Amino acid sequence: MKTYITIIFIGISIFFTSCTDVIDVNVPTADPRLVIEASLDWEKGTSGNEQTITLSTSTKYFEKIESNIVTGASVKVTNDNDDTEFIFIDQNNGKYTTTNFIPVLNQSYTLEIIYNNETYIAKETMTPVVDIAAITQSTEDGDDDEALEVNVIFNDPKNEENFYFIKFREKGGLLPELYNDNDEFTNGNQMTLRYEKEEDDDINQEEFKPNDVVDISFHGVSKGYYDYISIFIDQIDAGGPFGTTPVPLRGNCTNSSNPKNYAFGYFRLTQVIKTSYTFQ
Amino acid sequence: MKKHILFSLLLALLSQFSMYSQEKFTISGIISEESSNETLIGVNVLFPEISKGVVTNEYGFYSITLPQGKYKLQISYLGFKDNFQNINLTENKKLNIQLMEASEMLDEVVVTEKLEKLNIKNPQMSINRLTAGTIKQIPVVLGEADIIKSIILLPGVTNTGEGSSGFNVRGGAVDQNLILLDEATIFNSSHLFGFFSVFNPDAIKDIKLYKGGIPARYGGRVSSVLDIYQKEGNSKKFGMNGGLGAIASRLLAEGPIKKNKGAFLVGGRTSYAHLFLPLFDNDNIAYFYDLNAKLNYKINDNNNIYLSGYFGRDVFAINKVFENIYGNTVINLRWNHLFSDKLFSNLSLIYSDYFYGLELDFVGFKWDSGIRNFNIKYDLNHYLGNNFQLNYGINNIYFKFNPGEIRPNSTDSGIKREKLIDKYANELGVYIDSEHKVSNNLTLQYGIRLSNFIRLGQNELNVYQDDNPLLFNEELQIYEAIEPVDIQKFKKSDPIKTFTNIEPRAAIAYAFSDNTSIKASYNRMAQYLHLLSNTSSPTPLDVWTPSGKYIKPQLLNQYAVGYFKSINENTYSLETEVFYKDIKNRIDYIDGADLIANNAIEQDILNGKARAYGLEFLFRKNEGKFKGWLAYTISKSEQQTPGRTSQEPGINNSKWYNTPYDKTHDISFNGSYKWNEKWKFAANFVLQTGQPTNYPTGQFNYQGISVPLFDASRNSKRLPSYHRIDISATLTPRKNKTRKWQGEWVFSIYNLYNRKNAASIAFTRNQDTFVNEAIKTSIFGIIPAVTYNFKF
Repeated sequence: MKTYITIIFIGISIFFTSCTDVIDVNVPTADPRLVIEASLDWEKGTSGNEQTITLSTSTKYFEKIESNIVTGASVKVTNDNDDTEFIFIDQNNGKYTTTNFIPVLNQSYTLEIIYNNETYIAKETMTPVVDIAAITQSTEDGDDDEALEVNVIFNDPKNEENFYFIKFREKGGLLPELYNDNDEFTNGNQMTLRYEKEEDDDINQEEFKPNDVVDISFHGVSKGYYDYISIFIDQIDAGGPFGTTPVPLRGNCTNSSNPKNYAFGYFRLTQVIKTSYTFQ
Repeated sequence: MKKHILFSLLLALLSQFSMYSQEKFTISGIISEESSNETLIGVNVLFPEISKGVVTNEYGFYSITLPQGKYKLQISYLGFKDNFQNINLTENKKLNIQLMEASEMLDEVVVTEKLEKLNIKNPQMSINRLTAGTIKQIPVVLGEADIIKSIILLPGVTNTGEGSSGFNVRGGAVDQNLILLDEATIFNSSHLFGFFSVFNPDAIKDIKLYKGGIPARYGGRVSSVLDIYQKEGNSKKFGMNGGLGAIASRLLAEGPIKKNKGAFLVGGRTSYAHLFLPLFDNDNIAYFYDLNAKLNYKINDNNNIYLSGYFGRDVFAINKVFENIYGNTVINLRWNHLFSDKLFSNLSLIYSDYFYGLELDFVGFKWDSGIRNFNIKYDLNHYLGNNFQLNYGINNIYFKFNPGEIRPNSTDSGIKREKLIDKYANELGVYIDSEHKVSNNLTLQYGIRLSNFIRLGQNELNVYQDDNPLLFNEELQIYEAIEPVDIQKFKKSDPIKTFTNIEPRAAIAYAFSDNTSIKASYNRMAQYLHLLSNTSSPTPLDVWTPSGKYIKPQLLNQYAVGYFKSINENTYSLETEVFYKDIKNRIDYIDGADLIANNAIEQDILNGKARAYGLEFLFRKNEGKFKGWLAYTISKSEQQTPGRTSQEPGINNSKWYNTPYDKTHDISFNGSYKWNEKWKFAANFVLQTGQPTNYPTGQFNYQGISVPLFDASRNSKRLPSYHRIDISATLTPRKNKTRKWQGEWVFSIYNLYNRKNAASIAFTRNQDTFVNEAIKTSIFGIIPAVTYNFKF
């Protein structure tokens, strides 16, 4: 047996970081397509008669987007049961509005848009949402033990599949935060959707402080929309390490005149609870 | 029926060859290392006068039968002094020989001293061998010698970049590599998401990588075989060795249980916690450890037993809200038995498992998944004559797959316990393989493997209308899951689906001279397990799934032709190979497929195919102060996932697309220079085409957010070219010679000119300027490191 037990410690010098740089790349450009943001959201407890549909076209990736609004389209939504038509009026700023929409839960509707002599069609069903049981704040939940987060708590109904979509937007903040969830592993139980900001110097982000206000829109959505928004959320930051291969984002708007020229975006009909929360 | 044919073929061969064996005698034995009794694999046992020879097997055994007579025998092995014997063969002879290391330096195996003419004539092509010594000389990131980082410097072998798991061989996927550690299958070869491999280089004896022409004794994966043998332990004297490095430390002890009879070996390795602090922010833990333990005992001349174990784990924890543990466990009992001096057998009983555990506190759940298998293997080497050797055997593996279990981690969690349905399967392989020296110039290797895979019963199996789990919504042009119409229940012993495949293998070598040969090979292989992964490189969370009612086994045909030349008494060697392979039933995933915790994976996959072809070139300098190699590969690796009908687009509109690991050009250089007894230097240079990726073709605004659009052909863009240089210097103090304690210092610099190689390019919107940006992530910049290795 040897008697050497001494172990010599070795000092090492390393920089050992992963780093990110903004780089120039030449990206290809596909022909622009129509983008349909037809979100007919019926706020619970209101009549839901005022609705807006926004039309634009897709642009080159490194271009400012605001320039490509679409005017001159004809937009209407039909109740598939009684054929009531709701005509959306062109506001000449890319928005098309109506004030006489009649939402009916679990009713299917058809969207028809005629633009550049091509007809775009989409079908969707108005999906209900459960009530929010409570909105709380905490620090110990979420990714960071010390940062404040807001918790939206609700009870998932039993005996059915449910899909949820929630949009948080901080007052004064530029970009909303989108989350989706389903009840696959929580059916019939209490569920929580949570928004927390972590401090990040790279993007000038701070944690929530008392008196910060967060607007909340909580939607019940269809399975189709859930699948769509899952890919959408995934691809907002496409191509990161361990990322999935990005895919074309196809919504539910088809082009009946020229099927290859389908539209981006989605025709969604959801019931929504809108509220806001002020951190204490 | 097929088994009967095989058996009668075997009998016919046996009887035929026994007829010739009159007036001939067999010389057989074990070749081992003089200092430790460690058996040596792949030693050339040559009879130069008659140009005959044989190579030791995985347990150091050789056997050759020659006519009565006097012979000169030469035994040569990489890094060892040649041993010469004069033999007067008048009876069957047992000759165990011990070789002395050519250099007394620390754990160092100096590459080829003598030419290996057998390799020119051996039909086995597309193979690369590395010894632990070679691997330790290759400079790697953070100075930690690493098997996988070393093999990716060989032609035809790449990975998808720094920090990616596994490796890709000849345009094959990571899950298509059969990785064997002492004959046990390893399911995840990477620590820390691919920064290190799971093999402790101190415990390794021999590594072989088969890229093509794979012999019939291997089966179950279609791309390559990485066959790793660990050391058995020194049965002469106790010794320890280890290293202190920038990122991990190692310690290994070995010694006799009974002198010259039995030995043990225990090795451990661990990285330091908080290793990746700069990679994320604050409170987190990331480390790995592994343990290797071995026992061997020589019962008598004809019987040896080996017990070995491996246990490795990776641990990540971020802020107490995220905890992740995963790793492999292997236990293996082997028994070598010599039926006669011509018939060597090995029986292996192997248990191996891969475990993955995850706890997400903020979601309130715990997740476990894994794969377990019990493996019985019986392999025989039958040395029938000096021109003919038969290898045959049987291998049965029983699998249990746990695709995942979700549990609430506390009482106030809303998560309900959900157990994904366990899956069971049995894989049987029977093979016979011959090495046949037809003439002095022509050598053949041919064999056949019969594989049979039974997907066994499980609790619940979804049944779909017309067996179709996936609907193509023609109106919306998207794939959608179909709800099952029924659920079938099975007992664990009920077969749900059976596959049987015949896998012929053949190789031929024709030597024009002792220095030049051409070789050709064909192999067909079947793979019954699939790793479900739709990320650019696999992650430890990816789940293995067996073939069955809805997933067919992958079937490969590979053809390779090569030209081999040894120049100037093998001071230099040149190997060039062309290969083509096609794989049936390679699955890919529909848009938006969610592979995690998915009980009905058949609803998310489409069946496709893959192909790869290329040219490899390897120029080596094998002797002298300067040694090394230059490798160049040009290749293409593609995949096609067509729609099931002409109305369906499949993936990428049914057109071929690059696999995520397609690299057109790949140049690697590795060189080492021994300046004197004290200093040795080594360098690597790597230059590769960037990994395939996707660039957006536009953007649109929805929900107040700009999202990039991906409308172009899949994987048609590339990350910028990857290149870097690494250097290292090894200092062996002169005073080593006079003392027991031997130490060496390894100083290394990875990525010498601090090239920021892209690991990925992300497309996102800057939250300040509101401008879209392309953001490159690079992982390792310049990294100097020091490692101290010791031995006593």
